[in-house]
Amino acid sequence: MICNLKSTARFAYVIRGGRETRHARADYHKEAVQRKITLMLMISPRMATAIQEKQYAPTLLNFFVYNPKFGPREGEEEKKILFYHPNEVEKNEKIRNVGLCEAIVQFTRTFCPTKPAKSLHTQKNRQFFFEPEENFWMVMVVRNPMTEKTNREGKPTVEYHEEEIIDTVYGAVLQQCYNMYKLFNGTFSRAMEAGGVELLKQKLETFFYRYLQTLHLQSCDLLDVFGGISFFPLDKMTYLKIQSFVNQVEENHSLIKYTAFLYNDQLIWSGLEQDDMRILYKYLTTSLFPRHLEPELAGRDSPMRPEMAGNLLHYGRFLTGPPNLKDPEAKFRFPKIFVTAEDGYEELHLIVYKAMSAAVCFMISASVELTREFCEQLDSLVGPQLTLLASDICEQYNVNRRISGPEKEPQFKFIYFNHMNLAEKSTIHMRKTASVSLTSVHPDLMKILGDINCDFSRVDEDEEIIVKAMTDYWVVGKKSDQRELYVILNQKNANLIEVNEEVKRLCATQFNNIFFLD
Amino acid sequence: MAADVHNKKVAWETQNGSLAPVGKLRAERSDSPTPGLVEGTEPGAGQDDAMFVHTRSFEDLTADGEEGEDTDPSGPASGLGTPLGDREQPEAEPVGPEEEQAPEAPAGGRAEEEDVTSEAWRGRRKHVFVLSEAGKPIYSRYGTEEALSSTMGVMMALVSFVEAGKNVIRSIHADGYKVVFLRKSPLVLVGVAHTRQSERELTRELLYIYYQIVSLLTLTQLNHIFQRKQNYDLRRLLAGSEHLTDNLLKLLDRDPGLLLCAVSCLPLPSSTRDVISSSLQAAKSKSLVFSILLAGNQLVTLVRKKDQYLHHMDLHLLFNLVGSSSSFREGEGWTPICLPKFNTAGFFHAHISYLEPASDLCLILVSTDREDFFNLSDCKQRFLERLRRRSAYPALQEATRSPSYPVSQVGIPELRHFVYKSKSSGLYTSPELPAPYQTEEEQERLMGLYQYLHSRVHHTTRPLRSIYHCGERENLLAWVTSGFELYLCFSPLGTKAQAVMAINKLLKWIRKEEDRLFILSPQTY
Repeated sequence: MICNLKSTARFAYVIRGGRETRHARADYHKEAVQRKITLMLMISPRMATAIQEKQYAPTLLNFFVYNPKFGPREGEEEKKILFYHPNEVEKNEKIRNVGLCEAIVQFTRTFCPTKPAKSLHTQKNRQFFFEPEENFWMVMVVRNPMTEKTNREGKPTVEYHEEEIIDTVYGAVLQQCYNMYKLFNGTFSRAMEAGGVELLKQKLETFFYRYLQTLHLQSCDLLDVFGGISFFPLDKMTYLKIQSFVNQVEENHSLIKYTAFLYNDQLIWSGLEQDDMRILYKYLTTSLFPRHLEPELAGRDSPMRPEMAGNLLHYGRFLTGPPNLKDPEAKFRFPKIFVTAEDGYEELHLIVYKAMSAAVCFMISASVELTREFCEQLDSLVGPQLTLLASDICEQYNVNRRISGPEKEPQFKFIYFNHMNLAEKSTIHMRKTASVSLTSVHPDLMKILGDINCDFSRVDEDEEIIVKAMTDYWVVGKKSDQRELYVILNQKNANLIEVNEEVKRLCATQFNNIFFLD
Repeated sequence: MAADVHNKKVAWETQNGSLAPVGKLRAERSDSPTPGLVEGTEPGAGQDDAMFVHTRSFEDLTADGEEGEDTDPSGPASGLGTPLGDREQPEAEPVGPEEEQAPEAPAGGRAEEEDVTSEAWRGRRKHVFVLSEAGKPIYSRYGTEEALSSTMGVMMALVSFVEAGKNVIRSIHADGYKVVFLRKSPLVLVGVAHTRQSERELTRELLYIYYQIVSLLTLTQLNHIFQRKQNYDLRRLLAGSEHLTDNLLKLLDRDPGLLLCAVSCLPLPSSTRDVISSSLQAAKSKSLVFSILLAGNQLVTLVRKKDQYLHHMDLHLLFNLVGSSSSFREGEGWTPICLPKFNTAGFFHAHISYLEPASDLCLILVSTDREDFFNLSDCKQRFLERLRRRSAYPALQEATRSPSYPVSQVGIPELRHFVYKSKSSGLYTSPELPAPYQTEEEQERLMGLYQYLHSRVHHTTRPLRSIYHCGERENLLAWVTSGFELYLCFSPLGTKAQAVMAINKLLKWIRKEEDRLFILSPQTY
């Protein structure tokens, strides 16, 4: 949410530009900042008469889970509700809101029994419906972004921006909520079988109470729709080294069922199913890694890395499990996750071990008890090797960067996603964590990318869309053979033909001409 | 009288002016890369005053300023309105469209009753429902209102439930279809569409249907009826008018004019058109406000009272009235009609007649006086005489034989079809549909693509200057400048370079042909 004084709609636009520059962004925003300064100067004498305006970003209003079968009789409606955020909401209002969702879903079945409603648009908010398991409904209610103005009489008026929110983005966020729950708790029906409604309610409460606080709805964008995995580009030699490292560890510890290897928040190797890796990757990169960033940045003598002193052989440490191997009294446990198995789901311990920028995840069946001895063994085997590998990869990475020449601000930025291997690449996002997504382009351009993505998802055909925005940026979207590419070009005076040539060059250099459609 | 009739003009202006986001962008559009084509100088721009109320491609759906205050029957419109009582007793000689058309409603249209639980009913491309605030069915495009009364009850329940939370329901989205709600008190309109149209486009279509109903009753009467009896069955008053709504929905699916808020003209040598216009201008009468000559769904000419402008929506409603009733062919029709964008409170009286029974040429004379039938009939005779004297009639007849032109006239091989709208004149031109788009299904598909482009370039918060869409069946391009809107459809083999060249060539061609394709010098009495 940003609060600011302003007098015209035009100025509102500049302020939004200004918000980005606070995060120190690309060159073309300098212009916006300058414009903002001039405007400030222009309007400041009239500030007294200016209308006060406050801008509000989209926020989470409600989030609930219900099952219509649990309270079918009148008077028992409350039983349908399994989780409701915020919990303070009065009981009758909860029942009313759940009732509306039921009615909407039921109503749309009149027109298509198999494809019920996915979202409801109202003036003030949008509701997203998702039925992840039969009869279990998850609903997320997002308040539309709005502007609050105080007019000359001093009366506040609110204007809702109804077309700012893109359905596919928030629909994907809701599905992510479920997938994240499932990763740590298994399915809803599993909890029902294990301990009935009470256990499910308890699990939902524990999980979503914390998880919902990490949802940052204002920074959701196209990348949430893809939910892809960023892969680390690597030469063959180094890749083989990593693979032999993984094989060696798995051979030494036959308990390990799956392994995943990441460098710099990017995936290099994974033995998990794609869909499991996708959600685990999301957890690691947006939640676990950012939480453990500080000790590495801290100096050697800093109290934040106490256990480092005694261990000069390597930089390895556990991100999950025992925080300090030297302390025999310290209790520890590994988080459990649920992944796809031949017969439904299997429960696993998740061990995440990190040395410098290299991280490796080992997954071991939850039925095995993991002892301190095991951790020590793993530490002494993996620690030194991973430290070595990390510096190898780092060196290789720097060599490659030098070869590709000094980095200069390119004329274009792009997002690429491959539906087959979930590979995603973005030069638009600086860094994506749970709390902030730093993009280098104006939010409206990001939304145009979202619009193009919606257009693509409607037909299963190869398509290309080139648009020129009102700000004169060109945006190109290409969909070909399960791959999608979105390019934003900062060549305002270019024409359609030149833009096409530029994108062709980009495809040739970055993607080996995988996009054939002219 | 004239001032009286036009008392709503101010309201329109503010309404159009309140399209805030677009308003902001207008200034930006004027420094578009085509300096020669600023508004008013683009091909097809009228030389003098425009004929129409100046509108953008989208009606503002949020500004309700025009209504509400009209509910007082003794209000400003009372001088021109016909009270409802008069409507229920059709005037003696002339044919009123709603009352007398019911028996001869087209056999294919409403006759069969659909099973509302069948796959076929569910699979309909676009459903439209109209209901009263009491949840009573008023209209359904497919299936009888009786069979759907419970569904409509649910619709009303959803609307009021959301309203109870001081909120407004807009739409429901599911895989492959949307449900759009439009609340225009005292009516509620609901559309269910399996098309790619945006929520906004669908709302605009519902607004058309709303105005269609208002045009038969006036909003004043509509409010009055429901104030008196909340659960009144409006079908009793609208009986026989369903085919008008059916036909309007068909037009919305096929006619780019309704999408663009523009009208297309019958291609005609400007000398001939000038003779017709001046003949029509000369055949004036005291209470005559608009004289409109149509050829099919194209405009031949329009003469208006000075300072009185017709809104596209009203003209399209007139087109629809003429196009969906065959009775006007049998003689001179005399019908009260409300032009809701002009004034929702009162009736005009329209004299509608074909120049010849077998011809497509239809003359509509719109008057403020309900006793004016013989006067207007006389106007028509004077117009015809003058036309014959100046021997313009054969040329006009000749032109109606080829009401359109093939796209090949433009001489761009890759170009399959286009729609060009001159913003300042509110007129558009478009060639006849070529080979792959001649079936009804393909025609609607092409229109669907244009609707898609239109909704993207005119997005409320993220409008675009241009969009190029390259698909497997065709390539499309839309370009909006301060002066014009252009939508092009190319063969899928066409390249972007060819498309860019085609635009320039096409604009030159339109400029060359503009005095044939557009009405450049509109007339007033």
